[in-house]
Amino acid sequence: MNASRLDRRALILSASVLGVLIVLAVLGPFIYTVDPAHADVNNLRAWPSAAHPLGSDDLGRDTLARLLSGLRVSLAVAFVVEAFTVIVGAGLGLAAGYFGGLVDFLVSRAADMLFAFPGLLLAILISAVFGASVGAFAGGAGRLLLVSGSLAIVGWPLMARYVRGQTLSLKERAFIESTRALGAGDGELIGRHILPNVLGLVIVSATLDVAGVVVGEATLGLLGLSAQPPQTSLGKMIAEAFRYITLNWLQVFFPSLALTILVLSVSFVGDELRKRA
Amino acid sequence: MFFAQFVVRRLASLVFVLFSITFLTFIVGYLAPGDPVQAMMGAHRDPDTYARLRHEYGLDRPWLEQYTGYVKGVLRGDLGKSYRYAGRPVWELVQQGMGTSAALGLAALAVSLVIGLPVGVIAAARAGSTFDRLSMIVMLAIFSIPSFVIAGVLQIAQVTLFKAGLPNLPTSGWGELRFWVLPVVVLSGASTGYMARLTRSTVLETLDADYIRTARAKGATPGRVLVRHALRNALIPIVTVLGPSVAFVVVGSFVVENVFRVPGVGFIAVQSIGTRDYPVIQSVTLLLALTVVLMNVLADVAYTMLDPRIRTT
Repeated sequence: MNASRLDRRALILSASVLGVLIVLAVLGPFIYTVDPAHADVNNLRAWPSAAHPLGSDDLGRDTLARLLSGLRVSLAVAFVVEAFTVIVGAGLGLAAGYFGGLVDFLVSRAADMLFAFPGLLLAILISAVFGASVGAFAGGAGRLLLVSGSLAIVGWPLMARYVRGQTLSLKERAFIESTRALGAGDGELIGRHILPNVLGLVIVSATLDVAGVVVGEATLGLLGLSAQPPQTSLGKMIAEAFRYITLNWLQVFFPSLALTILVLSVSFVGDELRKRA
Repeated sequence: MFFAQFVVRRLASLVFVLFSITFLTFIVGYLAPGDPVQAMMGAHRDPDTYARLRHEYGLDRPWLEQYTGYVKGVLRGDLGKSYRYAGRPVWELVQQGMGTSAALGLAALAVSLVIGLPVGVIAAARAGSTFDRLSMIVMLAIFSIPSFVIAGVLQIAQVTLFKAGLPNLPTSGWGELRFWVLPVVVLSGASTGYMARLTRSTVLETLDADYIRTARAKGATPGRVLVRHALRNALIPIVTVLGPSVAFVVVGSFVVENVFRVPGVGFIAVQSIGTRDYPVIQSVTLLLALTVVLMNVLADVAYTMLDPRIRTT
């Protein structure tokens, strides 16, 4: 079997695992209708059984139901963050590369400013300081939007930098110059000629970025900064289950496993897309 | 001439980075919701005291003035006052965790160096071997699997091994050496993986160079070529990975300290969120970001000293 066929198999396998996870997150709660917030006080920290297929946590809440809703949170946050990163990051990067001058200066300096902060620190700070009041004002969904926002603020500069670089090199190419000579305006040049040529890069880097965002959300969740009760997230489930790991280690194992499978499948899909791009 | 230009450019970018970090931390604190003075006073609503406290905390000044005041304070080592413990300097609260965090971080960094570098070198020297492939898969795994997942696996293993009669490695708290083992191992994971993989690729690159072929042609033994010729040159780019490795350790310490309940700055910061004592987490973020910047500067200086070529570019 040659390498490219092996690659294709890896892509198909990782993409289908990812697809199954997405379907589980979207449809799961409709099929497995157990309430993730219901406390079954007769079954605390239960091992897997017919009543609780994956057991229950220290308040007797069903682990499978919580896993499904946590998966939903992870994927929803990842989706919002990538939407923001693609629209704002790619948009600003395109504008900076195409127009140059002051636009480029402002976008590049703003990106540099955010690059100065190592990784998640700024996201931790933002979601910690604004979390409680956003939660009080806009509820659980608002809180998740805040988490997405803080991760997106950290995430867009890299996308902007990639797209800016690509746009700069495209701008010098002959086909752009000749289209301009034929009388095309900025709008047509960007929309019909530059955008389609940076789209591949945007899709690949957004996919590769998802793994980092999922881990980022889980980290914020672990620190108690993401979803709040009765909502849950994979990171929060892990943090809570750490407290009684000596009594029932499966409760740490299941959310960790789900998170690892999610992160690995997204990384593989991103990696394969990059090889093909 | 060129060197002076290089230093000036580096200093200018350093100033910009320091400005960015202080400005972003300040602005988040400035925009923080709620009125801390109101919260502090609770039911007492004496307008005079209110005005006095607002003035004392500098909250009545325009934002630009507050920012310059903040930077001046930071330069003097004054991180402002705690909202929760009225009048108590934040520095005092944060300081309690600094020794612990520094010890944890340095230990993790040392473990990364001691394991990451040799694994990378051996993998490069035996590129394509079973050791190479296996170790690189393991290194990729510990780099990309989140630290708290690894922490969970180790805790489960520890519980099982303890039952089997092995010494107890505490999964919570801080104290004598046995408390250090699990947090340090978990914290060193990402930087070990990163270092090993980067070392492998730089050593591999160096092994391809002409002077290596020359050394081999002159009859130097493989070990001598590896240590005296390849490693010495490969070490130069490896110095620069110290910066990113410190960043992994610093961000990771937030997670590890909270998972293992190690009373470092990351633990103190997360505790302060519950009591809405924002200046504490603000200061911890600032200090950690500055640590990473400082290590990057040190790595840059070391790089310049080790490699004369960089001075002329």
